[in-house]
Amino acid sequence: MAQTNEAIREAFRPQRPGILQTLVETAREVASRRRLIVYLVRADLKKRGADTVLGNLWWILDPLLTMLVYVVLIAIIFQTKREAYPLFVFCAILPWKWFSSSVADAVTCITTRERIIKQVNFPKVVLPMAAAAGGVASFTFGLIPLFAMLFLLYPHHASGWIVLLPVVAFVQFVFTLGVTLLASAVTVFYRDVGNVATHVLRIWFYLSPALYGADQIAALSAKNPEIATLFNLNPFAALFESYRDLIYVGQAPEWAALGLVLLESAVLLVAAVVIFRRVEPVFAKVI
Amino acid sequence: MQPPTAPTAQPAIDVRVLGVRYNLRLTRKNTVRESFKNLARRRTGPSHFWALRDVSFRVSPGESLAVIGPNGAGKSTLLQVLAGILQPDEGSIEVNGLISSLLTLGAGFDPELSGRDNIQLAGAFMGIDHADMVARTPGIVEFAELGQFIDAPIKTYSSGMNARLGFSIATAVEPDVLLLDEVLGTGDATFRSKSQARVVELMRSARAIVLVTHDMSWAREFCNHAVLLERGNVVAAGDPDDVVKVHEDRSEARRNGQQPETLPPITDVGLVAGSTPRGIGAAAR
Repeated sequence: MAQTNEAIREAFRPQRPGILQTLVETAREVASRRRLIVYLVRADLKKRGADTVLGNLWWILDPLLTMLVYVVLIAIIFQTKREAYPLFVFCAILPWKWFSSSVADAVTCITTRERIIKQVNFPKVVLPMAAAAGGVASFTFGLIPLFAMLFLLYPHHASGWIVLLPVVAFVQFVFTLGVTLLASAVTVFYRDVGNVATHVLRIWFYLSPALYGADQIAALSAKNPEIATLFNLNPFAALFESYRDLIYVGQAPEWAALGLVLLESAVLLVAAVVIFRRVEPVFAKVI
Repeated sequence: MQPPTAPTAQPAIDVRVLGVRYNLRLTRKNTVRESFKNLARRRTGPSHFWALRDVSFRVSPGESLAVIGPNGAGKSTLLQVLAGILQPDEGSIEVNGLISSLLTLGAGFDPELSGRDNIQLAGAFMGIDHADMVARTPGIVEFAELGQFIDAPIKTYSSGMNARLGFSIATAVEPDVLLLDEVLGTGDATFRSKSQARVVELMRSARAIVLVTHDMSWAREFCNHAVLLERGNVVAAGDPDDVVKVHEDRSEARRNGQQPETLPPITDVGLVAGSTPRGIGAAAR
């Protein structure tokens, strides 16, 4: 009896899909559940505005207040000589808010949905996707104070290059999506990632040219060329500089650097999708 | 849509040598420190256990299957695999038609959102077309008896209201295959009889049902087949009256301190694999 069972088990053994099949299936699932992603993002937006006096106004106030903190610190206390520093730093704060809030949502998005994951069959990949897309919403709201600041306070910085913002944002979206997928999947197995993420995000921000410019790093790396190499490994070096080229400087971004980030992000995203799908069936057992 | 009469060649559910394995190292809440510890002493204790193994059965359209067994037998795991929540580690599973699971009511509810928003959200999680869900919303609201509370956040609901809404959503979508896990006693007496009537109605409309229950009267009354699970294996399968009898005898024996292994073999009651005419075959161990 035991032998027959073994033979039958072998005959019905489940097959594991290949990489290409995984990607196609994921794309199909996301397409069929795009409305779920929209609902999840909308629910998140609704909740954030709820129970506060100012409601949705917080979407605009939040990045402005962050900017104010850095302006006080860098422009007033450290006396930076950079012209239009509030605009300079806002170009980086806005995309960073998107990235950091997406990653912060991603590390909790699967573990907090424990009950529904154990009760309903749905593609779990929509959860980190909603986290990444929710960040896009906050980024879009943040463009309101950005444009207000640019056209009212610093009109001489405004240029036609700003229409290319969606291009840079797209590159960031691909990168963010890859990171959120990976972060959400890993957190299921190691809850520590949630605690680590806060600190990694903070140091990442300071190592990226957000509060300072890439020109200052260039001055440093004149003595130690390896600093420049390390610095340029960070996708946010190219991303922040590109945003700044479009908004603050008014010139074309460095297409080669931006293209490299897009390529790296695409590779990361494919790897993240494959890893996520590989561990996805275990979620309902582990959480 | 299957015709309601005469079971066709295509079963609603076809389960073959199903096995679901839990990795004991992974199922603990992990921190990095613990997994280093696990690496250090790798070979202590079993690394996995089979929640289900060699489970085979078939449910034809129009049939309702009761899954009974003691706690920890794998009943809920079986429903989770049928619902597609868990993937089989062994064997295959085939479900024809739209599945709706009433595993735990109100599982996907977001407490901050209104009842109406939650209906849409639940529909989206279950993969139901948006327009379809909008069309069904008035019926759901009416059946759940929520009245004007439907636009209030779920966090203000009583647990009964919550369960009623969950039940209404899960049964509103007219699934081909309905999975039920001990949820029939929902809410107050009035709603309970109403929800029972609804379940009976769903069963009548020629849709397959798998019901996990500890209530033997439900198994006898509403199901035309039953399987008894113990420790992840099918111990008996067939007519609900016979299977319930086996279960009660074995529970009785267990209460008297006997080990299940020493209990009378199931063949004594004539419930051998595949012996039932309407297609439930159990691959006994």
